[in-house]
Amino acid sequence: MRSMWSKIALLFGGRRRLADELDDEIDSHLEFLIERNLERGMSEEAAEAAARRELGNAALMRERSYESWQFRGFETLLQDIRYALRGFLRNPAFTVTAILTLALAIGATTAVFSVVDRILFRSLPYGDSDRLVSLGLVAPIEPQEFMLGGSYYVWQDNQRPFTALTSEIGAAPCDLTEDNPIRLNCARAESNFLPTLEVFPILGRNFSAEEDRPNGPKVALISYELWLSRFHMDQHVIGKLIHIDGHSTEVVGVLPKDFEMPRLQIADVLLPQALDTAAQRRADPGHPMWAFARLKPGVTIEQAKEELQPLFEYSLRLAPAPFRKEVHLEIRSLRDRQIHDARLAAWVLLGMVIAVLLTACANVASLLIARAASRERELAVRSALGASRMRLARQAFTEAIVLSFAGGVAGCLFGWLLLRLFLGIAPDGLPFLSKAQIDMRVLVFALAVTLACAIFFGMIPTMHRARGNVLAAHTRATLRNSAFRRYLVVVQIAVSMMLLVGGTLLARSFWNLQNQRLGMAVENIVTAEISLGQTSYPTAEKQMAFFQQFARNLRYGPGVSSVAISDSLPPGGYHHDQIFASLHVDGKPQSASGTGGTVTWRSVTPEYFQMLQIPIVQGEGFTEDELSSNNRFLVLSKSLAERIFPGESVLGKQLHLANGAPTENDPVYTVVGIAADVKNSGLASREEPEYYRLRRNRAQDWEHSSFVIVKTTLPPETIESWIRSQAAALDPTVPVETRTLAERVNRMADQPRFEMLLVEFFAGTGLVLAVIGLYGVVSYLVVQRTQEIGIRMAVGATRADILWLVLGSALRMIVPGTLIGLALAFALSRVLISLLFNVSPHDPATFACMSSILIFVALLAALMPAAAATRIDPNAALRVE
Amino acid sequence: MSTVENLSEGKKLGLLQGTLEVLILRGLKLEANHAYGISQFLKQQSGSEFLVDNGSLYPALQRLLQRGWIAAQWKSSPNGRRARYYKLTPAGRSQLVKATSQWERFVAAMARVLAPEG
Repeated sequence: MRSMWSKIALLFGGRRRLADELDDEIDSHLEFLIERNLERGMSEEAAEAAARRELGNAALMRERSYESWQFRGFETLLQDIRYALRGFLRNPAFTVTAILTLALAIGATTAVFSVVDRILFRSLPYGDSDRLVSLGLVAPIEPQEFMLGGSYYVWQDNQRPFTALTSEIGAAPCDLTEDNPIRLNCARAESNFLPTLEVFPILGRNFSAEEDRPNGPKVALISYELWLSRFHMDQHVIGKLIHIDGHSTEVVGVLPKDFEMPRLQIADVLLPQALDTAAQRRADPGHPMWAFARLKPGVTIEQAKEELQPLFEYSLRLAPAPFRKEVHLEIRSLRDRQIHDARLAAWVLLGMVIAVLLTACANVASLLIARAASRERELAVRSALGASRMRLARQAFTEAIVLSFAGGVAGCLFGWLLLRLFLGIAPDGLPFLSKAQIDMRVLVFALAVTLACAIFFGMIPTMHRARGNVLAAHTRATLRNSAFRRYLVVVQIAVSMMLLVGGTLLARSFWNLQNQRLGMAVENIVTAEISLGQTSYPTAEKQMAFFQQFARNLRYGPGVSSVAISDSLPPGGYHHDQIFASLHVDGKPQSASGTGGTVTWRSVTPEYFQMLQIPIVQGEGFTEDELSSNNRFLVLSKSLAERIFPGESVLGKQLHLANGAPTENDPVYTVVGIAADVKNSGLASREEPEYYRLRRNRAQDWEHSSFVIVKTTLPPETIESWIRSQAAALDPTVPVETRTLAERVNRMADQPRFEMLLVEFFAGTGLVLAVIGLYGVVSYLVVQRTQEIGIRMAVGATRADILWLVLGSALRMIVPGTLIGLALAFALSRVLISLLFNVSPHDPATFACMSSILIFVALLAALMPAAAATRIDPNAALRVE
Repeated sequence: MSTVENLSEGKKLGLLQGTLEVLILRGLKLEANHAYGISQFLKQQSGSEFLVDNGSLYPALQRLLQRGWIAAQWKSSPNGRRARYYKLTPAGRSQLVKATSQWERFVAAMARVLAPEG
């Protein structure tokens, strides 16, 4: 240790001092000798000469002494690095290719890791988040666990496996009604919500249990973003009064920057849910809510599930009979709840990018082997001049490390750019993606990848150098090298086969998704989503008045052929639904076995069907006359009609929609038509049975938010801004979101499109890398075999023979690679099942097509060096050496 | 790093290298001395059997300094000449004890092996 420090001290300028001191010492030694000689009676000249003789070679003494002071390791390292850099600069084509390949691979890996890290690995932004669970009931109507006020408080009082159980009741739009009003999202949660998640406000405090009561003091916590954008990080925001939906509310705290709701809803403001707990306990079923809990230390999810069984059975007894068999208890980790559908996509993405990384590493390894082979003589000479094997291995490692780090640094930059690109083309509403960034953690990951590459590359020359004398075994070593390179190409081709199959399956699935029959026309339709504020439009009368006035104003606009109003729009997004079992024909008892799944319903005006070109296959549909009727009317979808009235005539049938005895709350509806089926629960899911209620000119049929649908003959952009201006003329404070229906449908495919683009990108990169690798190896083989080819030509081989000779050697890599790739793809594509739409993971067309394309492209890459081989001049080839 | 290399060199050169270092330590056991004095001491004590080459002496001193077994200081000699004096450090002293006992075991073992039978 001590000698190390003295060496480091020497390294920084101490050497000069050491040299002077040594010179002084040698001088003094000489003087001792001279003095002694003088004492013996020699003359001065003779004494000095004898002394110098006796002292010996002063230069050698100095040299050897310095040597023992040299900081050998470090200096050799610097020397190795200098040497490596010189070597790389001498061969820029090799260097640039290798660094670019590495940068591409490390960059892509880094960018993808930064995205999937949050989904798969990073801990959630809550204290000790591994012990947080989401729990509740699952039912056909809501496959994500939820709770109901009627049971929740009983669970909270009696549960044992958790240190705390808390709830939130969702987030909804709310208005900050001050000067310069804005629409925000307000989440509502219980007072123990933040403490259970172990989230601490960065300013102020959490709301108290007293504030979490009906008619309690109005308080709010605000998000970090709102604090930044609206209050410019003013510390005095605490205690400030803000107006939320017209209520004066005191800001009591600011949430941390990384805070997110457990279900990832956007929340600008967190309010007390202020439920009347006593009323909820009596209520049936009670307010819907979402429950989260912190497991006691040592308690597993299975144990918790077991311990909650009695409480679950209590809740089951409260549930209506049809539900009992179909409701289950669900407890899962919060992470599982958050990423239920993102996990697979994340793993697929990570798997693909690692495959690309491997292909890239194989390419660089192949380059390094070729380079090592061409430097064999140089290394042999160095070895003969006394460089130890250790020294040469160290040199090789240094080169690998220098190369990898150059690639790593370039890769981090490229990764950053790539992530920007991902974020740029990504659709909104992918909550994990928007938070992805290159931070320390991701950089450490990139460093680890770089190091792994460096070690891999460093080992390649060492591996084969360890096998005996280089000068003697020249030819054999070269053959061994090219065999290893051929294996690498086989692996690359296999990997790109897998990537291609995966990419094509997703592309086909996407094509199917985009080109499926929606059951309606989307052309020339502009939609405006309008949500009226609760304060300005407190009653259904006022809401109906606004929408009807708005529709009237639009109807006579330029290029408008008709206007309809609906509460929701197919083919996906929010819509009402209910369970099938509640529907029952007037006068018949309702069936009690099971819920029968869910049924979609919408409330629409008569023009809806004609505008979206949804054919009415039976009956007349809704008519203008029915708009002012006291009776209620229904149009059923074909599939629903066949299910309720199999083989019967449907028109004029009376139907109840809700449970229980016919009362005021369960009016009777008359069926006036059957509409063709429409895609109604997202692009990728099977359509549900559906019915349409007529939205009459009666307040009870209206609510605060609706879609106004306009059919137009003008370009959508002009009509969209005109619609917005019409809305503003009626009430400038109402936010209007206009979009063409085609755009709305298109946006539903955003996420699969994004996934497909990423996968295509990696499949393409993998293919390019594999083809480059193959090209490199085949060209190298041709150069290696120049002499052999020359001889063959000299003894009468034709150009075609030579062409086939080279192509044959390429095929010996391509065919096994393709076969291995096919087998792997066949085995692995099954994991894609849930990402695929109407495509089998073993789609024979995809497999056949991709293997032909791969073989074709690979042969094309081999053709260039093969053609070069046919142009070899036998005379010139034989005269080499 | 240099320590490792010395060990391997020491192997190659047999006893000589290591021996010189022990001898230097022994030469400094009683009093501090300068390089010239050490070479004189070794010459006299060995009955002129060991003629220490200065080309070996100086690097050996440097190595001992690096290992912290000896320390150096410029002082005036009794006859008024300035010289670099080396003295044993506590670590050097214990190294000397260790090396001496090793040497004795080595010699004894050699003697037993070489001793004529019977």
